[in-house]
Amino acid sequence: MKILEANAGPLTNFEVFDFLRCKGASKDPTRVLVPVTPSEFKVYDYLVESAACNQTRNIINEFLEKSKKFKLAKAEILNIINIRPSSLVEVDSIIEQCDTRFQEEELQELVDLVIEVLPPLPNQPNAAEEVNEDVQGATERMDGEGIKGVNDEKADDEPMTELMG
Amino acid sequence: MFYLSKIEHTLRLPPHLLRLPLNEAIKLELENVFLDKVIANLGLCISIYDIKEIEGGFVYPGEGASTHTVKFRLVVFRPFVGEIIAAKLKESDANGLRLSLGFFEDIYVPSHLLPSPSRSEPDPYGRYEVKWIWEFGDTKYVIDGLDEIKFRVLSVNYPSIPIEQAEGSKPFAPMVINGSIDYDGLGPVSWW
Repeated sequence: MKILEANAGPLTNFEVFDFLRCKGASKDPTRVLVPVTPSEFKVYDYLVESAACNQTRNIINEFLEKSKKFKLAKAEILNIINIRPSSLVEVDSIIEQCDTRFQEEELQELVDLVIEVLPPLPNQPNAAEEVNEDVQGATERMDGEGIKGVNDEKADDEPMTELMG
Repeated sequence: MFYLSKIEHTLRLPPHLLRLPLNEAIKLELENVFLDKVIANLGLCISIYDIKEIEGGFVYPGEGASTHTVKFRLVVFRPFVGEIIAAKLKESDANGLRLSLGFFEDIYVPSHLLPSPSRSEPDPYGRYEVKWIWEFGDTKYVIDGLDEIKFRVLSVNYPSIPIEQAEGSKPFAPMVINGSIDYDGLGPVSWW
């Protein structure tokens, strides 16, 4: 084995997610039928719960275009797309030397841009409830998850057909 | 977090794959060889992205299979230093936290990189060895593993394979990430 180029380009979480999805990975329980290995499914399972799950190529391009004026480093933009920080304190940890490079208004502008352009996680409002319910609502949640799963799959299918077409 | 890497590899194509078109057969064999493995200083191989070039195909004397030289691109997991990643709590003991991404589980946050002042106490539910608590003023923030934990990558190490392993020690990990949650915005997402 010879490494020709260790870094032939970074990928966002979305690109990896999209790649696995095009290979046939989905939340479908019949996982043995598609040519996706178990280790790839583990990556898919992680990404499907991350901010990448409902991004699209257009959204990422739009964000790249609109974030140019902030003069962020490539790594920072990549990290912002992957994490989708929705508050000042979250952005602060991603951007290096945040307080010397940016005014607070600029950061707020950046956060607003993130919220406006990058779609939120579908289950974000439920997350807090789930923590509170913990064991009590276990049965309820199972039902809820079932419904959620079906919806997610529908959402997954749409961009795929788009890409194929 | 993820990168593409270009690799050249010479492989022996086992005859049982000959029923498939060459491309697919080689891809299957590459998946067998590389997927879910760590290449030192390159990262964890996630997936074969595409195959650029296939050369050769000679059957060497005494071999029952053809040998090909392939140039291809791999998707590798290799976080950069300073990156913020969301992970789940896997273990929590006196030394600190161990986090998991599902597909990668060797992420350690040592106790001195937890927000200070932090202290540990035994976990009443017994799910983890100890529970870490950050005391900020009068409020206590508990790392209970219910929600995702964001951490900053401090270093990525590729320890060499030990010749002899002490009995009862942790299984060897070819790639170890050290992280910190001692910064504003890091730690369990419910804190902020």
